[in-house]
Order: sequence, then structure tokens, then C-alpha cells
Amino acid sequence: MALENQTAEGPKDDGTRGVTSRAPVPLVPSARGPFVHRGVLKRYFREISVAAALLLVLVALAVFAPGFYQPQPLLSLATREAPTLVVACGVALVIICRQIDISVGSQFAVCAVCAGLLASLQWPLALVLAASVAIGATLGAINGALIAWLGLPSIVVTLATMVTWREGLRWLRQGQFVNLPDGVQWFGLSQRGGQWLLVVSALVVLVLLGLAMRHLAAGRYVYAVGTDAEAARLAGIRPRRVTFLTFALLGGLVGLAAMMNVAQSPQVDPKSGTGMELKVIAAVVVGGVSITGGRGNLWGVFAGLLLLACVAPALTHLRIEAFWERAIQGAIILLAVVADGVRSRREHR
Amino acid sequence: MQNVSVVSMSVPAPRWKSLLLRHEAVLFLVLVVEWSYFNAVGPRFGTVDNTFDLLRHSVEIGLLALVMTPIILSGGIDLSVGSLLGLCAIVFGKLWRDAGLPPLAAGVCTIGIGALAGGLNASLITLLRLPPLIVTLGTFSLFRGLAEAITRGADTFTNFPKAFLFLGQERWLGLPAQAPVFLLVAVGVWLLVHRTTFGRSLRAIGFSPEGARYAGIPVERRVATVYILAGVVAALAAIIYTARMGQARADAGTGYELFAITAVVLGGTSIFGGVGSVHGTLLGIAAIAVLNNGLVHARQPREVAGMLTGALLLLALSSSVVPRLWAAWRGRRRGAAPPTPPVSSSPIP
Repeated sequence: MALENQTAEGPKDDGTRGVTSRAPVPLVPSARGPFVHRGVLKRYFREISVAAALLLVLVALAVFAPGFYQPQPLLSLATREAPTLVVACGVALVIICRQIDISVGSQFAVCAVCAGLLASLQWPLALVLAASVAIGATLGAINGALIAWLGLPSIVVTLATMVTWREGLRWLRQGQFVNLPDGVQWFGLSQRGGQWLLVVSALVVLVLLGLAMRHLAAGRYVYAVGTDAEAARLAGIRPRRVTFLTFALLGGLVGLAAMMNVAQSPQVDPKSGTGMELKVIAAVVVGGVSITGGRGNLWGVFAGLLLLACVAPALTHLRIEAFWERAIQGAIILLAVVADGVRSRREHR
Repeated sequence: MQNVSVVSMSVPAPRWKSLLLRHEAVLFLVLVVEWSYFNAVGPRFGTVDNTFDLLRHSVEIGLLALVMTPIILSGGIDLSVGSLLGLCAIVFGKLWRDAGLPPLAAGVCTIGIGALAGGLNASLITLLRLPPLIVTLGTFSLFRGLAEAITRGADTFTNFPKAFLFLGQERWLGLPAQAPVFLLVAVGVWLLVHRTTFGRSLRAIGFSPEGARYAGIPVERRVATVYILAGVVAALAAIIYTARMGQARADAGTGYELFAITAVVLGGTSIFGGVGSVHGTLLGIAAIAVLNNGLVHARQPREVAGMLTGALLLLALSSSVVPRLWAAWRGRRRGAAPPTPPVSSSPIP
């Protein structure tokens, strides 16, 4: 572990631009006492500003719509967002690797329907979960193979697989819902217990992946490939393999998220996951992951996802119609991208 | 320039062989095979009525594919055209019904809105130098969201005057009335891409934007022009769509961006920019239109057409890469000097 850590922190780019300090900087500024280190502030400016925006929204909600802060609705909101968080972690990895995947929504639906069908065949739940993850990983690996080994652009490949999986599913199932047997919803626990289990497991995935991206060599490889694939190759990393595995990992995470979604209701909707790709990419981009690869971390993605998740309830509490949600989502993506663009132009000048 | 010199320097192949190996020729053969197959399977497929019907239904996607060609040629991509079609259809309906404008004036205003929307894409891409992929992904969401917000999710516009519906449903000089519009745009785009310095500079930008800039080409202005052109033609397509359907809804043109990109890539335009032709795109449109229409006549469900389009796109993409990889692999096996492997090029056009 220590050895890996050393090699990882060596000559490679450590995920931020314009900072050459080699010493690992703690993630939490307050860990160094009351005086915030200036480098930290500069380095994590993007993440901190997202967190500040989130705080602002939460304060605004507390002032104007205190009804938002009730434990049960909040827990329900967190449960609904838990699968999205898991998918967002995977998509963040793919974007850090300088690729993109817009087929996650379709993969999600395929995994959810398969998991539902297997569960209704009375398979044990652990086996269903494993099968869902395996199916997701296979779908991700197909994307990864086309992108990494054939060198095709990820946006077009995933656009094609998005439509192919979605239409194929619609053709085979004709829009039928899958009825689940008893004991699948909330994994046979009480509703509260199931909700807590889902939220906690999503957070565990986030923390594990977040730490791995910072402290494992494999995590640093993703940053290296995303920053400059040719330089990474010369440094002895295999960019194609890293890209392929990142897509496969994303697929596996989508399978996990699909299972987390299946466990929330007594039926599986074959249209589940429609539009998920945009929601997830919005969260990732808002969270400070650079769309040109090599920069960002999962803590920012978490803050970005929470910010976007608060938009819909905030709209209803502030009495704005829900039809605006999609337009506001698009505007937030553009705003985040413009902010990044302006910042990078200023830095390069 | 570059193409010509490469061809003249390579081993002189027999003339018929080089002609046969051209992408357009292969595509034409595919089209002929498709046509004869569906003609044999579906009894009504080959009739004049059905051919006109086919033409009528493919005009909107065809228009989008035509303007997508210069964009992809210059190394960019526009995912927002389908959403913009929906927004423009709504704007047109709103201007006609609620503002009381005659259809002609409403159409002119709609085209102005389309130009503005294209200008939004163009300014974000060129002024801030943001990747087209993420900008148009944001506007993809924004335009569709605005259309949904304007109609509050449910409102549709119907009962257009007969004179306006003529454009979409009647015949003029024996042809479907929208066919001359399509022909005009097709000839215009063909001349623009193949017979002007403007089109030539787009190829230069697609090959290497930096090189084009050093060669004195106003890269930003040229790129901005093609995105604005795409906005204008998307608005035109929206008007024709409204006239054909007799109604304007917020979900008009959903998924059209995929069909447009598929037609362009199928037509031999490289997704990395720099190589491609408008007549190839026209053949690509025809291949997709025949496939969609023929499957209906062969009594296959609509979903199969979507699935096959996705698969076709993947096949077309890999067909340009696989022979090269195969040659490189065989070269390595024979112990020849290993060619430098094509490192995964930037996925973000």
C-alpha cells in the first residue's frame, strides 16, 4: 500500500493543474487548524464553491421553506438519489479518464429488468445482485472494448448503445412492468431499515471509490490517462486497458445501482433510468470534474449531486412549476461549463 | 489537397477497383440490396406512392443530417438539433395561435429564434473555447426543457390553416411539397462544402484547428457560422415537421440527433473531422429512411428500426477502423517494424 502510494504520487500529474507541490494536501482544510492553507483554497476552489452554493440553497430553504426539513421526506429523497450517486461515481471516473458515457440510463433499465426477472424466478437476492452487477459490467465492457481497443469516439459509441439497448428492451418487453415477489422490496427489511441500508451503501461506495482514486495507483492511472494518454503510455501505463476497465467498472456500478432501484418498489419499470445520463453528467460537471479529463474528485461530485437533488424539492417549495426542472438542469450544466471555461482562460492568459 | 497527393503517391490500383472501394459505392450497393429486399418482402413497398411517403417522412431528419455534415467535417458535433426542432415547433405554434401572426410571419420569426439558439451554441463554443460535445449536451437539455416549460408539459398546437398544411401534406408539381425545400438546402450545402473556400477551410479546421489558424483561416468565425446554420435549418425542419404532422408538440424530434449523426457517419464522414462528403450523407439518409420504412412494410415493430439504426452506426464506425487495426496487427506478426499504435485520440470532438 505504502509502495503504491509512493509510485502514485511521483512524477505523474496528481489531478490538478498548475500546482506542483508533491506533498499530499489534506482534503479537509480545517484539519490544519483555523487558518486555511492558501494553496488548499486555490486548489479546491471549484469544489469549495459548489459546497458553498449547496449551503446557500440549504439556508434559503431553511428560511423560505422550513417544511423541507422533515426527517422522513429527507430520508426518502436521499433514498431516491442513492442509485444516482452510485452511477455518478462511475461516470465521474469515465469523465476523469477523458471519455463520456451517455448510455448509463439504458444500461440501468436493462440491469433493472433483468434483476427483476431473476428475482421473480425466486433466485436468492445475493445471486440476483451479483447477476445484475455482472450484466452491467458486460454492457460496460462492450462500450469499453469499442472505445479502447477500436479507438472509436465514446460519445458516438455510447449514443448508439444507448438507443440499441433501450429499443431492444422495449421490443422484448413491450413496456411490461415486472412484478416482484415478496421479500425483494427493501430486501425484506422494514421500509426505514431498507432506506437506511440503501443510503449507507451508496455512501460506502462513494467513500471507497473516493479514497481509491486518491490513494491507489489504479486511481492515479485514471487521472494520468485523462490528462495525457500519450504521456501515460510513455510512463508505462496502458491507456487502453485503463480506459476499458474504467468503462467496465462503470457498468458494474450501474448494475449495483439498478439493484438498489429495484429494491425500492414492488414493480420494475422498464422505462426506469430514462434521462439519467443527463442528470448524472450534470452532477459530475457541476461538481468540478473537468470535461476535458484529468481533473476533479468524487467529493465535488457528491456536493454537485446534492445541489441538483435539492433543486426539484426547492422548486416545489418555492412554488415554481415542475416543468422547468429540465430547462434549469440544462442551464446549470451550461453555467458550470462556462465557469470552468472562463477560469481556464484566465489561468492560461 | 492532402487526399489528392496521397492517392497519387500510393500504388496505382485498377480504376474500377478504386471506384468500387469508395465508401459511397459500397453504401450505394447496400442501399440497392436493402431496396430489393424490402421490395420482395413488402408488396406495397416499391410503389410510387410509398416512395413519396418515404421522401416525405425523411425530409426533417435529412435536413438535420445535411447541416450536421459541415459541423462534423469541422471536427465538432451538435447534439442539440433534435431538441431545437422541438423548441422551434412550439415557438411557431405559440406565435401563430397566441400572438396571432400569419404562418409566414411566424415562420420567419421561428427561423430567427433558430438562428439565435444556434448562435448560443456558437458563442459558447468559439468565444469560451468549450468542447462542442458538452455545450450541445447542455443546450440539448435546455431547449427541450424550455419547450416543455412553455407548453407546461401538455399543451399542443393544432388546427393550422389549410394553406400552411399544404407544405407538409400535399403535392406540388407531382412531388411532395416539402421536397423542393429539401432539394434546395441539399444543393446549397453541397455547393458550400464542395465548391467554396469556406467548405475547404472547414476540412482544414477538422484536420487541425491550430494548423488552420496558422494558415490564416478565421477558425472561430467559420465554426460559429456552421452552428448558426444548423440552428436556422433546424427551425426550418421544425416548420416542415409541424406542417406534416398538423400539430406542434414539445416532444417533436426526440432522438432525431441520433438519426442525423448516424446518416452523416454512415455516409463516410469521419467523426474526427476533416474527411467527408455531402453526397455521402444523402446516401446515408436514404439508407436509414429505406430501412425504417421497409421494416414497417415487412411488418416488424418500430423498435427494431431504432435498434438496427444504433447497430448500423456502430458497424459503420468500426468498418473504418478495423481494416487499419487488422493491417497493423498483421504487420506486427510478420516482424516488420511495428507501426506506432494509434493512441486513443481525444474522444471529445
